[in-house]
Amino acid sequence: MYRYDEFDHQFVRARTAQFRSQVDRRLNGTITEDQFKPLRLMNGLYLQLHAYMLRVAVPYGTLSSKQMRQLGMIADKYDRGYGHFTTRQNIQFNWPELTDVADILDDLADVEMHAIQTSGNCIRNVTSDPWSGSTADEIEDPRPTCEILRQWSSLHPEFTFLPRKFKIAVNGATEDRAAIRAHDIGLQIVKNDDGEIGYHVLVGGGLGRTPIMAQSLNEFVSKAELLPYLEACMRVYNRYGRRDNKYKARIKILVQEEGIDKFRSEVEKEYANLTPADIAVDQEEIARITAYFSPPEYEDLSDVDTDYQRALEKDAAFKSWNDNNVATHKVAGYAIANISLKPIDGAPGDITGEQMRAVADMADVFSFGEIRATHEQNLVLANVKKSDLFALYLRLKDAKLADDNIGLISDIICCPGMDYCALATARSIPIAQQIYERFADPVRQKAIGEMKIKISGCINACGHHHVGHIGILGLEKSGVENYQVKLGGDATETAAVGAVTGKGFGAEELIDAIERMVDFYLTQKQGEERFLDTYRRIGMDPFKEVLYGAA
Amino acid sequence: MSTLKHKGKGPQALTAHGLRAGPVVYLTKDYVWSTFYADALITEDKAIIEKMGDAGDRDDEANLIVGPYFIDVDPETGLPARYREKFRMNGPSFDPGVPTHIDHNKHTGAVIIGGDK
Repeated sequence: MYRYDEFDHQFVRARTAQFRSQVDRRLNGTITEDQFKPLRLMNGLYLQLHAYMLRVAVPYGTLSSKQMRQLGMIADKYDRGYGHFTTRQNIQFNWPELTDVADILDDLADVEMHAIQTSGNCIRNVTSDPWSGSTADEIEDPRPTCEILRQWSSLHPEFTFLPRKFKIAVNGATEDRAAIRAHDIGLQIVKNDDGEIGYHVLVGGGLGRTPIMAQSLNEFVSKAELLPYLEACMRVYNRYGRRDNKYKARIKILVQEEGIDKFRSEVEKEYANLTPADIAVDQEEIARITAYFSPPEYEDLSDVDTDYQRALEKDAAFKSWNDNNVATHKVAGYAIANISLKPIDGAPGDITGEQMRAVADMADVFSFGEIRATHEQNLVLANVKKSDLFALYLRLKDAKLADDNIGLISDIICCPGMDYCALATARSIPIAQQIYERFADPVRQKAIGEMKIKISGCINACGHHHVGHIGILGLEKSGVENYQVKLGGDATETAAVGAVTGKGFGAEELIDAIERMVDFYLTQKQGEERFLDTYRRIGMDPFKEVLYGAA
Repeated sequence: MSTLKHKGKGPQALTAHGLRAGPVVYLTKDYVWSTFYADALITEDKAIIEKMGDAGDRDDEANLIVGPYFIDVDPETGLPARYREKFRMNGPSFDPGVPTHIDHNKHTGAVIIGGDK
């Protein structure tokens, strides 16, 4: 993975020192809260419902074991012993004190981390496919592109005060595991007819109160043109994006109001006016950055490991974990091991300091010291020998991290909701827990198959409910939690915004309603159909009838 | 004249966050800030509400608290009327922290911000 150079170190340290001084000035009253708030937000520090919250950037979801250990240390020393992985592949600490935050940032800087660009109207931390570099369906590893974007966008002076926040995701595989169509700009790595690798640029996607899937802006932008082209896009947005209304300030509204053709012609005009060579990264620098992501030293292995096969035959629980959580690796004899952060008695994405250290150790022993965070709030060890999977599984079991539910109905994306978030209108964590309890039977979960339930505790949609096969939005109605249900959402390459079923449900009715829909799907399912496929085939009406009775 | 206005109905309490550690706090009858809702000064008296608002402004400027605002109190239960404020009072309903919010409060007792301390 990428290692900081002298410049990166200097810049992060300088930023931390600057923040320490800002906190001091806030505490002694030299600056007011109104002056301090934008400064703390630029360093990832929010004031939430019960306490401050610090959001730490995990660039494109990639962590070293050393970084993970440091996050564990921070959780134990400054917080209440845990952290929370978010749908942006970042990690949040829910209970830091303002007086400790500069020390936390220094501790992060020690391991080449920071909390910059996790808030504010700038280009946010770039996200990507957590299986990057390891998956067989990859056209090219997206991480070098992500790193180039990180360096380009970090404190980019022209794009520090955009009309609104700006999220870029990069996907390098044919399957979209980075939800690029739900981002302001999505980059899909493609190969053109000449065999040249470049980017399909999508623009204007986003969730929040106005969910829109990104549209195609340019089917092929070459590698050399990428930064100048993005710079042209950002300039058009920065100039024409609405600043009169916060809720209409994202690029998706600009693209929708002006139309994709008009937006494209503005980008082309802007591109024609800039000097690409001033912005583009030269080949040498691309090569230097790419070298950080060279494949690890894989051993030359047979794809069949007899001990592994024997363990699968002997241990049914291991087999179940293996079937659900392990994905195919591009190199023979290796596997991608997904670690579920969705236990039945926890909050989706939460992990204790002790578990962070355990995962760091596992990464060192089994996966070249590297860990990935996913936007689905799980972790990945992307390069595990098949012959090590059983040993890894036993360690995960010891660490209470062996839930075998990746991609199943209990693998729920869920925002912190009213339990922690100042913006929330209802709780989401208890709903996720109740759904898991209702569908706890592993046989039933497997019969249901792939199911993406996504829960947001307010219309800002951090829990991605618009793109859940079943999406749940928590609202408050006269002091009572009420949950709206959406069906048919999809965050992948076949992206779609879900449709609202109708009237919302009280917290107690909601779980029954979901169960009725899932049971109904099982009666309608044809062949290998997932819930989403059945919904697409038969449409909303039969589900409405199941939910609300005949009209 | 206090800059803090309440638009609510019935009894009022004044809440904020402690600036340094960030906890939810309530203005008490001694005009200091407590992390326990049970200590909150609750009144419908306009003159007292005005005085509370002044205290909010004063301690905001004195860098003790951040973001003071009035909340409606249910006259029957004496508890915050709004759903959101009930969460601020109780802490998270699911709390994996060690100590949890409730344990932490029990352990530390009410933290008082302001006054001569």
